[in-house]
Amino acid sequence: MKPLHLVLLAVAAVIAVIFMSFSPGRMKAWQGRFLDVSTPALSAGAAINDRISKLNKGLKTLDELEAENAALLAQNNELRAAGHLLGDLNEENRRLRESLGYRERSAFSLVPAAVVSRDASSWWNSITVSRGFSSKIESSQPVLTAEGLVGRTTTVAKDVSIVLLLTDENCRVAASVEGTNEQGILSGQRVAGSTTPQLVLNFLNRNADLKPGARVLTAGVSGAVFPAGIPLGVVKEFRTRELDGQAIIEPAADFSRLEDVFVVLGKK
Amino acid sequence: MIRASVLAAAVYLAVIVQEFIPALPFFGDARIVLVPILFCYGALLFPFPGVLALALYCGLLSDLALLQVDGEHVEIGLGWTMLYYVLVAATLQIIRRFMPKRRWETHCLLTGAVTLVLLLGQYLMVCLRRGSLIIDADVFWQVTGPAVAALLLAPLFYFLLALLPRDAVARRRGSRSTASS
Repeated sequence: MKPLHLVLLAVAAVIAVIFMSFSPGRMKAWQGRFLDVSTPALSAGAAINDRISKLNKGLKTLDELEAENAALLAQNNELRAAGHLLGDLNEENRRLRESLGYRERSAFSLVPAAVVSRDASSWWNSITVSRGFSSKIESSQPVLTAEGLVGRTTTVAKDVSIVLLLTDENCRVAASVEGTNEQGILSGQRVAGSTTPQLVLNFLNRNADLKPGARVLTAGVSGAVFPAGIPLGVVKEFRTRELDGQAIIEPAADFSRLEDVFVVLGKK
Repeated sequence: MIRASVLAAAVYLAVIVQEFIPALPFFGDARIVLVPILFCYGALLFPFPGVLALALYCGLLSDLALLQVDGEHVEIGLGWTMLYYVLVAATLQIIRRFMPKRRWETHCLLTGAVTLVLLLGQYLMVCLRRGSLIIDADVFWQVTGPAVAALLLAPLFYFLLALLPRDAVARRRGSRSTASS
């Protein structure tokens, strides 16, 4: 190797090492800028992807569209009625809590977001969604669908955010099993097929009597990212280990078909 | 210069496009990575300073696309892929004289090897940070699947990029060598 090449090699290595020495905050800022610059390209890619998937699904006939519209209108009316009822219950709940001297619960609001893309890496499970800090989204905010919890935000750019999915080993959630006193920590698996992800609920009582089909919800412990009561999945299998019990959980949300999600704003 | 510009644009596009390519169900749900294919093409085509610049560029874009910052927790930070590509560039520079340079077979095999080592390195780093090493069939497919996919896709990229017009300097060099022979 020529001396000039050796010098260039050393310079390139030093540049790489400088980037390695960045603090997590600085790395996040760089990634945020990259996402800002790439937002138009990501949006265009998402639009093309959407068109392709619609073509794959096939075009619907007018009759099918009418039937779908009628079903959606009926569902809309049903949800509006349920919303009114829940509004009354919420008011009643608030008055009762007030009379008992309980602290008032923080209000949450949901911001709808479309899934733009899915992380191309093999070792992390994350998606990019179409809302960022311009929609008041911050990092570590819960993301859910109508079925249940999906994950939480990590890097937030102006108009897009990265969401660490529940199926990732690093996304840990305090969870409880409905109808029991069992609580544990739910997380994804390190490497799992993307089409059939499963979750594991660790640190359960060894003698826990968990039946398949039992619902698992967020426990909402103090200071946690996730509020209580969000569905996580159902127990598929329970096994005892040397020190604790472990349950295999089938996720409530369908991670292979994530299209629209909601980011939860507001205090936990 | 034309090829360098097109390759730079293609690398950026590859970083975006690979996020939209679905997992390969017949390769254990492995994902396709396109950047190593383009890097290896450039590594066989450009002189050493150009390869180093390409290594830094490809590494930075890959790192920015894959970075997972969770609070203060980062498993593979910025710079690691840059360093990896720089090391590949240095290794290629050393072994350059022993391998046929502009052959699609060389590009194909090099792409497979670079992708395999990159993914294996990433996985070992993730395991090191998480404190346990798991090796099973899923891990095998997540490492070898993208490498095999990259190896199979490499000839397509090689011949597509070979269609690009050659630079004036390269054309002059080519004509000189033909005249001298």
